[in-house]
Amino acid sequence: MELIVALGLIIFKVALLIAILLLLPLPLTWVERKIAGHIQQRMGPMRVGWHGLLQPVADGIKLLTKEDHIPADADRFLFKLAPILALAPPFVVFVAVPFGETVSVLGNEITLYVSNLNVALLFVFAVIGLEVYGIIFGGWAANSKYAVLGSLRTCAQMISYEIPMGFAVIGVVMMAQSMSLLDIVRAQADVWNVVYQPVGFFVFFVAGLAEAQRIPFDLAEAEGDLGAGFHTEYSGIRFAFFMASEYAIMLLVSVLVVILFFGGWNGVLLPLPPLVWFVLKVAFFVYLFMWLRFTLPRYRYDQLMAIGWKVLLPLSMANIIITGIAFS
Amino acid sequence: MSRARNTIGTWIGWAFFADLANGLALTFGYMFSRSVTMQYPDKEKWLPYPRYRGHHFLKRDEEGEIKCVACELCARICPCYCIEVVPYEDEKGNRRPAKFEIDTARCLFCGLCEDACPADAIALGQQYEFSSFSSRDLVIGRDNLLTKPGKAATGGGVVAARLNTKKDVLVETNEPQGYNWWRNIRRT
Ligand code: SF4
Ligand code: SF4
Repeated sequence: MELIVALGLIIFKVALLIAILLLLPLPLTWVERKIAGHIQQRMGPMRVGWHGLLQPVADGIKLLTKEDHIPADADRFLFKLAPILALAPPFVVFVAVPFGETVSVLGNEITLYVSNLNVALLFVFAVIGLEVYGIIFGGWAANSKYAVLGSLRTCAQMISYEIPMGFAVIGVVMMAQSMSLLDIVRAQADVWNVVYQPVGFFVFFVAGLAEAQRIPFDLAEAEGDLGAGFHTEYSGIRFAFFMASEYAIMLLVSVLVVILFFGGWNGVLLPLPPLVWFVLKVAFFVYLFMWLRFTLPRYRYDQLMAIGWKVLLPLSMANIIITGIAFS
Repeated sequence: MSRARNTIGTWIGWAFFADLANGLALTFGYMFSRSVTMQYPDKEKWLPYPRYRGHHFLKRDEEGEIKCVACELCARICPCYCIEVVPYEDEKGNRRPAKFEIDTARCLFCGLCEDACPADAIALGQQYEFSSFSSRDLVIGRDNLLTKPGKAATGGGVVAARLNTKKDVLVETNEPQGYNWWRNIRRT
């Protein structure tokens, strides 16, 4: 009996997580377009619903009813597989991500995470690394030069930025003496990691920007030179999958930054519920992502590589050494 | 010396992302500044200046009679040959147009017809929304031209308006003078 209840709870949590992750891109696209509009002194979407609130729904209907086009010379199997491969890893990662300690519902303590892996951080990086398959398959299968170039760029970018990203969190792991995200947050109950690890935070955030392929590192889909990068040939719902995966990764990077460096659900000053604190911090970072997008221009490709290998990598290594010396 | 210090200062600024912070502050300021969007056609529309050359209209004199004397000068001067005038003699013995048609599909809105007219009978008004699904509908006859809106008395502003799609797509407004839209463009 207890096993069934526990199993049901896990299934319920996973279903809830998937529903939230699938639906969240809708409001996020609206928010992004509104922010874009107001930064550029426009209004953003205004016509569908109050202040364009129903615009994402209209876009969704549009994407669902568009022709599902597959180029003539495409590798049809890979072409169909790629969007799913791109969408799945960000969803899987969230299994290991905690959103808080516990809440009590009807007198029962319910944990706000699906599982507390003791190697959660490793799991996150391992699974996120898989996302690159969706992109390279998508670019390759489409049989179009823009798509191939875009996916090649993305692969190079993702691989070179995952290294400093991984190094940047080692400082955090050293401080918490654990790889479990839950323990990392607990270790920050008094002082947030960003105080001790500003360099680590910086490297992680910049690498996260590149990982999420947001401006200034969105070379994979540089409209000016590549059409739309690896998803040039995609249309309709398959294109929506790529978009959803992009938003999920942006969300994931925000969540990871908050958990690793900004104390997770530990609040300061205001006695708000932990979950509210967590959501507020994540919302701030999501806003920062969008804000940066409409502030900065795109880097050139060689600059991108130079930043990754010549700036971020040495910085993250120095960070590990200094953390090691200071906390040994 | 001071130049060297400036360079060092710039480098220190770069190291702490002063330029990035500047950029972010600028976009943040813009985010909360007033938007310059003219919400056409949902809420606002632009009222053109009095000198604007929009849709033609024919004028009436004090007795309410059409001013045009069907001299066909406008038809002659028109570079697109898009005016067609057929004269007749009315009961008072005046020469008047029996048929006066402008093919606005071909008109280039040069305003030469207005300049050429000896009777000050035709002019180009303020209306600029007359798109149509058929080019046939763009041939405007005499009676229709008499009802078209005239020159804007005061113009060059944005007025509240609303979209009317019942018959044709038309943006209606009741206000004669709106606010100066250019004011919004300038950030003070
Ligand atoms: S505005 Fe110019 S082109 Fe149009 S009817 Fe008059 S003369 Fe012809
Ligand atoms: S509108 Fe003026 S120029 Fe044209 S026919 Fe009439 S009187 Fe002559």
